[in-house]
Amino acid sequence: LPSAAQLAMVSPPPTGGAHYRPQSLQPSAATRRPLKEVVRQLKQTYRVQIAYQEGLLDNKFGTVADSSALAIDARLGQLLTGSGLDFKQITARQYVIIPASGQRMADEPIKGKVQFAEDGGGVPGASVILKDNPSIGTATDADGSFSLKLPASYDGKPVTLVASFVGYSKVEITVTNRSAPLTIKLAKSDQNLDEVVVTALGINKQKRSLGYAVTEVKGEDLTQARENNVANALTGKVAGVNVAGISTGPGGSSRVIIRGNGSLSGSANNQPLYVVNGMPIDNSVPGQAPTANGGGSNVDRGDGISGINPDDIESITVLKGGTAAALYGSRGGNGVILITTKKGRAQKGIGLEYNGTFTAESIAVFPNFQYEYGQGDGGVKPTTLAAAQATGRRSWGAKLDGSTDYVGVDGQTHPYVAQKDNLRHFYRTGTTLTNTVAFSGGNESIAYRFSLADLNSKSILPGTTYNRKTANLNLSGHLNSRLSYEALAQYNLEVAHNRPSAGDASANPNWSPYMIANTADVRWLNPGYDARGYETVWNDAGIATNGYFVINKFQEDDRKNRFIGQGSISYELLKGLVLKGVVSQDHYDYNFASVTPTGTLYALTGQYVGIKSDVSETNGLATLTYNRQIKDFGVSLLAGANRRHSELNELDQAGTGFTIPFFYSYNNLASSTTLALSSRQQVNSAFGSADFNYKGLVYVTVTGRNDWYSNLSPSNNRQFYPSVNGSLIVSDLFQLPKAVNLIKLKGAYAQVGQGAPDPYAVNLTYSNVPSSGQPLQNVSSNTPGSGIAGITNANLGPVLSTTAEGGIEGQFLDNRLSFDITYYNRLTDRDIVNSTISPTSGYNSVYLNAGRVRNRGIEFLISGTPIKSSVFSWNTSYNVAYNDNRVLSLAEGISSINLASTVGNWGNINNIVGESAFEIVGTRILKDANGNTVYNATSGFPVATGLQPLGKSVAPLTMGFNNDFRYKRFSLNVLLDGKFGNKVFSISEVYETRLGLLKTTLPGRESGLRLQGVTQDGSAYDRTVPVSGLRNYYDNYKNYSELFLHDGSFIKLRQVILGYNLPAFHISKLNVQSVTIAFVARNLATLLRHTDFDPEQSFSNSNYQGLESIGLPRTRSYGVNLSVKF
Amino acid sequence: TKNFEEINTNPNAVNTLTPEFLFTKAQYDGVANQLLLLLGTMQYTTSYNDVAGFGSKYIASQVNSSSSSFSNAYPGALNELTLIINSVKDDPARVNLLAEARIWRVYCYSRLTDVYGDIPYLQATKGYTDNQFTPAYDAQKDIYADMLKELDEAAQSLDPSKATYGQSDLIYNGNPTQWKKLAYSLMLRLGMRLTKVDAAAAQSWATKALAGGVITADGDIAKVSYLASGQLINQNPLAYNLYISDYIAANGSTNQEGGKYQDVFINYLKQTRDPRLAVVSVVYTGGSPNVTDTTFAKQQGMPANLGSKPANFAQLSEPNPKTVLLRNSPFLVFTAAESYFLQTEVALRGWSTGTPAATLYSNGVAAALRQWSLFSASDGTIPTAKINAYVSRNQLVTGTFAQQMQQIYTQFWVSIFPDAQEAFASYRRTGYPALTPNNYVGNATGGQFPRRFIYPISEQNLNPTSYAAAVARQGPDNLLTRVYWDKQ
Repeated sequence: LPSAAQLAMVSPPPTGGAHYRPQSLQPSAATRRPLKEVVRQLKQTYRVQIAYQEGLLDNKFGTVADSSALAIDARLGQLLTGSGLDFKQITARQYVIIPASGQRMADEPIKGKVQFAEDGGGVPGASVILKDNPSIGTATDADGSFSLKLPASYDGKPVTLVASFVGYSKVEITVTNRSAPLTIKLAKSDQNLDEVVVTALGINKQKRSLGYAVTEVKGEDLTQARENNVANALTGKVAGVNVAGISTGPGGSSRVIIRGNGSLSGSANNQPLYVVNGMPIDNSVPGQAPTANGGGSNVDRGDGISGINPDDIESITVLKGGTAAALYGSRGGNGVILITTKKGRAQKGIGLEYNGTFTAESIAVFPNFQYEYGQGDGGVKPTTLAAAQATGRRSWGAKLDGSTDYVGVDGQTHPYVAQKDNLRHFYRTGTTLTNTVAFSGGNESIAYRFSLADLNSKSILPGTTYNRKTANLNLSGHLNSRLSYEALAQYNLEVAHNRPSAGDASANPNWSPYMIANTADVRWLNPGYDARGYETVWNDAGIATNGYFVINKFQEDDRKNRFIGQGSISYELLKGLVLKGVVSQDHYDYNFASVTPTGTLYALTGQYVGIKSDVSETNGLATLTYNRQIKDFGVSLLAGANRRHSELNELDQAGTGFTIPFFYSYNNLASSTTLALSSRQQVNSAFGSADFNYKGLVYVTVTGRNDWYSNLSPSNNRQFYPSVNGSLIVSDLFQLPKAVNLIKLKGAYAQVGQGAPDPYAVNLTYSNVPSSGQPLQNVSSNTPGSGIAGITNANLGPVLSTTAEGGIEGQFLDNRLSFDITYYNRLTDRDIVNSTISPTSGYNSVYLNAGRVRNRGIEFLISGTPIKSSVFSWNTSYNVAYNDNRVLSLAEGISSINLASTVGNWGNINNIVGESAFEIVGTRILKDANGNTVYNATSGFPVATGLQPLGKSVAPLTMGFNNDFRYKRFSLNVLLDGKFGNKVFSISEVYETRLGLLKTTLPGRESGLRLQGVTQDGSAYDRTVPVSGLRNYYDNYKNYSELFLHDGSFIKLRQVILGYNLPAFHISKLNVQSVTIAFVARNLATLLRHTDFDPEQSFSNSNYQGLESIGLPRTRSYGVNLSVKF
Repeated sequence: TKNFEEINTNPNAVNTLTPEFLFTKAQYDGVANQLLLLLGTMQYTTSYNDVAGFGSKYIASQVNSSSSSFSNAYPGALNELTLIINSVKDDPARVNLLAEARIWRVYCYSRLTDVYGDIPYLQATKGYTDNQFTPAYDAQKDIYADMLKELDEAAQSLDPSKATYGQSDLIYNGNPTQWKKLAYSLMLRLGMRLTKVDAAAAQSWATKALAGGVITADGDIAKVSYLASGQLINQNPLAYNLYISDYIAANGSTNQEGGKYQDVFINYLKQTRDPRLAVVSVVYTGGSPNVTDTTFAKQQGMPANLGSKPANFAQLSEPNPKTVLLRNSPFLVFTAAESYFLQTEVALRGWSTGTPAATLYSNGVAAALRQWSLFSASDGTIPTAKINAYVSRNQLVTGTFAQQMQQIYTQFWVSIFPDAQEAFASYRRTGYPALTPNNYVGNATGGQFPRRFIYPISEQNLNPTSYAAAVARQGPDNLLTRVYWDKQ
């Protein structure tokens, strides 16, 4: 309900055309009447608004005099004389009655509550500022309440407040009576001039004041068509944010790169920092991310961000780089993803929300194999079991003729025909069911929100499941007028079963359905084991595990217990001076065990891998803030200190040979090793920032931060990082046409740094090697857990990353059209790279303060509302970003460093001076000047060139096109996104070529393949590879990387949501405020691609971007989402 | 920041090395770094599977697999030995530690350069001390000169009165006298390697080696001992690898990599009625239980030209799990037999006087047959009567030098098994045994016998300048380029 103050201000609307005209009243005797009544009459008489605090006029009386000749000022003065009341004129027709000076309480704070217009719930974190001095303001607490103290200069004066909140239209309200609590209702708006956004350290700022690009994504955009890993849901939504799709099944990790790879060392160092409610969380992948040539337990164990439930997210703000994230110092260089979680609000009763989603997923892309020649070798199909087993994954047989003497690996005869449905037969429909229930409520001193969520996923791979249970509790409130607190506790229990191995063949369940001969039905391999429980043979290489054996007999289980806790207290020491302390910890215990069972062909007696780790990141933060307005200048100052301590303690268990067959205990291993692993790092920081604004036209922020790193050389372990950014509101500076709502120029410059990615990189140390005999020792790995003997660097110093950016933002036509262009240039210098070096140095890698890498690019966002009416509206936005990434230099004498390689070095990911970072490197077929293939006359094969740069592994051009349609109660969201300009090296195709599956292996099948070209000495070369030699000939193609390199560009229909919002209704005693039901789909269709596989097929969130391998097929998902608010 | 140094100290590692512990590791690593595919190349074994059979088939598409021991050598044994040498070199009390590390380093380097030719040597393993990340490749000629010099200096510096590695030395328990014999034996081996390219140098080094005293007694055989169980690193790497990657099923039928003995090896042993056949080779009976059968007549090898599993696969011979595949069998680094065979050649060349060549040869044959008892006393010991009978059947012929060389080095080939790497070196130097190269479809050599193996492709990526210089000097990086001492 509107407050008394608001009611008091409500006056009848002026009648059409009526002008101020004194109106005669009925003449009457000078009678004492209740003052209230008199004032009411005056308001009618003079057509003015007169406000007063409710109760102020009670028991007071005045005279209704026929004195309409008097001006209203005089009349009021006359009326109030001797009443102990006074009045003030606010505007031409606004007056307020106040207690006369001396009686009024001095600087009473303005108290009130900001509510959502749609449901009356309190708006947490809304900003409430003085209109004529935006530097004076406050933010609402968890239940939407606020209390704003004004400087003494405003005593007794009416003031106009502006309340605003992201995504809502701002509201102005004039306050004359501070003792009456205000209620301010905010209505939704799609664009807003004075949007307030969350910035570094959780500080809310007006968007117009920022000199750098930030983008906000609302929680509701993530909850309908949801991704298990919320980071993947950012795909296409934010210009400059490149989210790589990773197909490792439910519970998998993500790879997010903002404004290009800023670090040459790859792995986690290029991913942004994830921050929840102002405090960092851990985003590590337990154990290690999968590698291209790994087998066995080479699984993606999921990252830290995957543990956040989208239903708990109020909003996500993407700070794109050092300029925005300078206050995060060393960790802000790759951008920061700020997650603000939902909070409770003071309200009557308990708010209850339910959100449920069911999605089903199916394979999106099927291979495009040849179906002309079937299983066999040398042009001959198998007609015995032995021949079938020898050629189980060879499609080098006879022409398909439907003959019936073909024998498969099941020992039965089958018609010799194509089997095109092996993927459909092998995989199932995956499902994910998510249920979230959230309760919220509270009062002034404690507001709470508690949510419980359960996510249950069944992968398309039979037997693979993932369950995530999340409990999230948020408490906040005011203990008194100066002391407020907030506490967050999140507990996760994540249980995964049989995560699939990726990379190479061993233990990779996906190998069989993809690589089996094209006339064989993969179900002939079922169940994959014999009467003894041993793997059954299906091909000539024991290392290529029978997929059904993997599904049925391999065991993989992991369990993560995670707790994120956060508590903050803030205390207003003096007016405008607030001290805040925050402590947070993100901790998890992880338990992983993987069993290669007894009877596995490549490991007959079995293998065991176990990981037990506990990982924590603890942050302590103290800040002191001060806000002051001096005439037209607003100043706000911040000083703070932070200590970050992260720690990992891990035991890695590995062993081979189960002494008692089929008994899978670590204690039952014939040979076993347990290795202790520890990693500790600390960063101490001191920082400060100062924000200035002049009349709300010019904003400047200066920040400084000094970091001290534990993992750098003691003589070179500190770095100061300055930043400055500012904005100029051109549209307020000049009188512009009415169609222009905002023109803003922005600019920013920042330096941020980074410490070493790993601890213990300064001194060479020696570790004992587990031995059953004499003690053994060797050089410690320089990357804990990697096992790689690497060189440390006694002089290791901080990385320095310098970003400059500038841009322009505009909003037009009542904010129906807006754009935002940003140019940035980010230079990373003295990059710490754990470079792979020639092993002949004695070591496999070295830490160097070596690299200089530049990312520069343009981000463009245009959005608008082409159609807006009460029944139909269309909001659209298009973002596009281009990032030019270049390695400028490496360490002296080093022109190329290697980050990742496939088996056999067929494809490599390198950083090469002058090329893009993470360049794909490989060989080509040597051609002479006339374009003839050059053959090696001895071997008869084409000559391979040396290693050459082949293309970018990371797409330089990304775009997203988002559309929201609303028709009455229906809504439709359509999101397209695309990436362009990158290359993908397909490891699958290397094998598919070797095995005769690809169409490119068809030439020569009938009568041999004629090769013509020149020899190395230039003479003509001509030979015919006989049919019997084709397998070997095509197998040798693996030595020419270019044959498996493809344009990785694509456009995808990423997301479609069709929603219907039911009218509010009552069911028995339940008051249902809103019900939304939505049909959702993700990754619906690929509108453009240049590959036979999904160009986003990826198996690791580590350096192996641009390398496709045989992992789980990419899927599309469909489902339904139900959201109910009570 | 006061506690930063403590925070940045790895709680699981120490700052100073213990030379003894590294030395044991370097011995294990030095032995473990074998190019097992040479078992196929030297026609002891083969596989019908193209990938596993690369060694016997030299298939072009698999050629990169031949570079593995190059990549493993440096961060393993070679760097460990460099660290030991740096830590003890200034301490006169630890001169034996220094000398034995130098001798072992020569062994490791010689294994490497013999396979690849020019390799990083003088500048290698200096990544930490000298920031040398792209070491130059040294010419094999220079490497040989330095290795021989190292052996000479190290042998002379050994001092029985000083401290030793003790039990950390898995070969001789630190015994400096025996290490001296190993040093001179290696000098004999490497010196004789030069016969084709520089006979004078070969003579000079061989003479020096013999004067210094080489291994001749069974008790002086240099061997690394292993354990039957426990950590994998404590088990014989050659035996373990063969066992785990191929023969673990122990049924003759479901060998993962499709491996068997090659017919060339088995046929030769049968043809010469070699008593070692029953020691090294078995077939499985196929019954239940499926037991091994060493019956002479049943042994049969597999041809190397197969591309798919033959019908009689289960009946073919494979390594004996009671000897060759025993994880606690020793790895023989330098045998009395090798010493005698080399001495036989020295005598034939007229570089030595004293014991006649025929006697040296017979001593070598007898020592070779006796050495199987080191693998297993119960299953490896050949009765003396059988040894004597075989020796008397195999006297050194009195034909031409070439005929005698053929006899010596064919016997050497049988005797050195399973150390295929030494067999490969000996074959390239002497041309014996007279093996027929495999002209398998898709092979990389046009059906010629490989003369070396290729550098890791990663060297093109990580050490391109040095790599290019080596290729320019030595010849193309392929299987046919000959190493320095293998000049025609």
